[in-house]
Amino acid sequence: MYKNYIKIALRNLTRNKSNSVINVLGLSIGIAGCLLIMLWVSDELSYDNWNSKADRTYRVASEINFAGTHQSYAVSPAPLAQALVSDFPEVESAVRFRDYGSFLVKRDVQNYKEEDIVFTDSTLFDVFDLKLIAGSKSALTEPNSVVISETAALKYFNNEDALGKTLTFDDNEVYEITGIIKDMPENSHFRFDFFVSLTGGQEANNGIWVSNNFPTYYVLKKGVDHKAFEAKVFPHLLEKYIGPQIENIMGATYDEIAKSGAFIRYFYQPLREIHLHSDLVAELAPNGNIQYVWIFLSAAIFILIIAVVNFMNLTTAKSALRAKEIGLRKVMGSLKSNLISQFLCESLILTFLAFLLGLALAHISLPAYNQLANKNLSIPFSNPSFWTIALSGTFLIGLLAGSYPAFYLSGFKPIQTLTGRLSDKKGNVTLRNGLVVFQFLIAVVLIVATMGIRKQLSYIQNKKLGFDRQHVLVIDDAYALGNNKNAYKKRLSEHPSIVMSSYSSYLPVPSSRSDSPLCKSAEIREDNCVAMQNWDIDEDYIKTMGIELKEGRDFNIAMATDSQAVILNETAVKLFGLEDPVGKTIYGSADAGPDAGFASIPLKIIGVAKDFHYESLRENIRALGFMLNESSGSLSVKLTPGNPSEAIAHAERSWKELAPGQPFSYRFMDESFNNIYRTELRVGTIFSIFSGLGIFIACLGLFGLAAFATEKRTREIGIRKVLGATTFGIVSLLSKDFLKLVFLALIIAVPIAWYLMSQWLSSFAYKVNVGYSIFIFAGLSAILIALFTVSYHSIRSAIANPVDSIRNE
Amino acid sequence: MLRLSNIEKYYRTGLRKHWVLKDVSLAVNEGEFVTIMGPSGSGKTTLLNIIGMLDDFNSGTYEFLDEPVHKISERKKTEIHKHYIGFVFQAYHLIDELTVYENIETPLLYRKVKGKDRKAMVADILDRFNIVAKQDLFPSQLSGGQQQLVGVARAIVGKPKLLLADEPTGNLHSTQGEQIMELFKTLHDDGMTIIQVTHSEKNASYGTRIINLLDGFAKEHSTKTD
Repeated sequence: MYKNYIKIALRNLTRNKSNSVINVLGLSIGIAGCLLIMLWVSDELSYDNWNSKADRTYRVASEINFAGTHQSYAVSPAPLAQALVSDFPEVESAVRFRDYGSFLVKRDVQNYKEEDIVFTDSTLFDVFDLKLIAGSKSALTEPNSVVISETAALKYFNNEDALGKTLTFDDNEVYEITGIIKDMPENSHFRFDFFVSLTGGQEANNGIWVSNNFPTYYVLKKGVDHKAFEAKVFPHLLEKYIGPQIENIMGATYDEIAKSGAFIRYFYQPLREIHLHSDLVAELAPNGNIQYVWIFLSAAIFILIIAVVNFMNLTTAKSALRAKEIGLRKVMGSLKSNLISQFLCESLILTFLAFLLGLALAHISLPAYNQLANKNLSIPFSNPSFWTIALSGTFLIGLLAGSYPAFYLSGFKPIQTLTGRLSDKKGNVTLRNGLVVFQFLIAVVLIVATMGIRKQLSYIQNKKLGFDRQHVLVIDDAYALGNNKNAYKKRLSEHPSIVMSSYSSYLPVPSSRSDSPLCKSAEIREDNCVAMQNWDIDEDYIKTMGIELKEGRDFNIAMATDSQAVILNETAVKLFGLEDPVGKTIYGSADAGPDAGFASIPLKIIGVAKDFHYESLRENIRALGFMLNESSGSLSVKLTPGNPSEAIAHAERSWKELAPGQPFSYRFMDESFNNIYRTELRVGTIFSIFSGLGIFIACLGLFGLAAFATEKRTREIGIRKVLGATTFGIVSLLSKDFLKLVFLALIIAVPIAWYLMSQWLSSFAYKVNVGYSIFIFAGLSAILIALFTVSYHSIRSAIANPVDSIRNE
Repeated sequence: MLRLSNIEKYYRTGLRKHWVLKDVSLAVNEGEFVTIMGPSGSGKTTLLNIIGMLDDFNSGTYEFLDEPVHKISERKKTEIHKHYIGFVFQAYHLIDELTVYENIETPLLYRKVKGKDRKAMVADILDRFNIVAKQDLFPSQLSGGQQQLVGVARAIVGKPKLLLADEPTGNLHSTQGEQIMELFKTLHDDGMTIIQVTHSEKNASYGTRIINLLDGFAKEHSTKTD
């Protein structure tokens, strides 16, 4: 019996070729799209799961409200890890990281710049399951030892055995390789190639509780109630360690300071939630965002729904053509249940065909998709649970998509089907129309979302930031120049395409930096201090960056007093509440170490810079002070517009002379700027592609439906033509029905899309208006797409010879 | 074999009833070859469909092999016509998607006849109707007469007790028609009960009894022709 069903199903498939293609193709594209998105989603959800203790590992994060700045940090004080282990029996082990940025690393002569370096405790292997290929778990116990990844070992030692060999950091520190690990899994919220021992490090042992620089992780013993543990950690630490130190530095107890609203607080992030739920200051690496997981997940479901709806619609629409067969089968003794299983069988066959095709499509497009998503995803063909989920999912889709047609078709009365034409039942038409409306509703929402995302992204990229990021070349690691810094700067200025250049500690793009307080008086008090960014710049910085001064003047190297001067931004002035800032004096600290106390240095305000965006546009502009100081961060080089290659070559030549053996690395500021929004850009592109897919599938469905609708009305069209109807009249007659549905979808979709858009935009401090133009555009495009899709069939039937269609009857 | 008493069938258009059959009573015994005749629109086909349980009626009683058809469930009806009734249509009504062989095989599938027996039965019929060579062709590749031959083959492959034929020769030209009627006669001679609807006096002459329908009334019966 089933053999017969399968035979008929296949024969039907080949018989109605265009219909089958639309049906199977639509579904398989939907399945492929859904599969690709689900791969992305499951990868995002799998972060840090590779740790066997992941469910009892936590990271300590600190929330600090002081001097007008309220921030949460992914870092905590140096002594915390030790205190956790020694004071709390619940803690099994703890480990710290310390990110000192990049280093120049060499084996013999040639230096390489390495970004993925972190300093850590010897307990690293107790907390994280890093797989050692060589060396032991005590590899990091000794000072000046380093554990490197397989990739790094290959890079520096090729096929030699790296264990026991040494590497030199920044030309002076020698580290012995005491362990080699397998490269870290991609789905980790941090990834490093060099784990350097913190043992013996000065900062690591300084005992300072008011400076937060160490990401700290701890593992709880099995069976410990984390809530109860959490509740007692901070009060204990505050009383025993933090409180006394604060009193020491500020001359007031924590409780006294807390009266003015300032506070410190720790919170504890489960390891597995860090990647998707944590976006704190000083994360080890940029994290994912649960919002995007939700966006993608809903896109996947929408696409699948559109595809399934297509399938149902086309099958029911096609039913009119199969009415006779159904009637005959009934006459020949088929039970309703026989027919139901026959149609479900057909639907399952089609679905599985679509699944195979979808799998192939996904497999083919995976490399391109990986590039787009910057991931290394693969279809887990060898994973039995993937097959279980995929196959049962397909089975479910098959049942779902086939059930309505199956029950509907099997309910035909044989006599109706054999005598005369079967008229579509009203309820059936309503359902089909409802589904079309639903599909287009999703399509319109997708169009609006895509356009909204794109509009916001282009707004961000083109927004006036308050400085000029065009034609600025950034040369990193100026410290490598040593004493030749000024010579290099002078050398650069000789080139005709180089306008000027400037050394500075920071650039106006987001990076890891911390606030420190400047105060109106020489003592730190919550009410007269503003926590702000302190940037060391030289006298050319403000001109190089094109930052505008609102009042006052720029630094002048000729004026000796400018070494104790400051230029504030507007926000800082506002937070200080200064009426006429230029000429006033504020106080800063030379070194905010706890033992040093607060050594107040008077700083004269010589100028006020207009606010400019130096963080992501997700955030508001915060207070900032420029100081004229030596710095060896990066050199920003302003170029004249035009081809920069010669200027770059000149810069590199000069670098090689003045900093021999040091790697020359440069980037363009607008590139770094775009990197801030890389996630958004990526998500935007992926989302556009998938919503395009969704719209395409919806159109396939509409195309198929239009084919049936016109086919059913062939005779009517024939008669109308004989009676004198024009082609245009017939096309509009046929298109009208579909357009009505699209209109209805539009009306329902607009408020939904508007709501979703404003939700997404609310995470940006600076955002576009979701103007009505987007909705008009989305609406028009939906209508045009629908019209275009339907017109193929309506025009074809409108220009057909009416005699043929009438004679058929 | 079957007995219809006071069968009525009507459609409602607004408040008016539009009668198709009115007070029709009829009994057919096993082994009869009954012909239902009447002008167009007299309700012949409707009557045949009611006998074949493809259509409902509004009032009256219908007993088939002592089963009260007016009372039994849809499922039971399906069971009955699956096992006892075969149909032949004017427009052949073969399933376009199936080959000749498969068309004939289909009723056996629904009767859950075992594969081996099924093959034997279909082969037997193909042989008997001389259409073995055509078994792999699709209906569209056959002439009308051949299609109807397949239609008859399909109707009787399950060895039904009652064969219902709705103008079986209506779409055929005369020689093809005669061939089909000869076939019916042979079947009847072998003991099958046949009820046919026809316009043609000539076809009626093959039967044992004629019932004339006129606007829904069974006017006259028992006119033996042989």
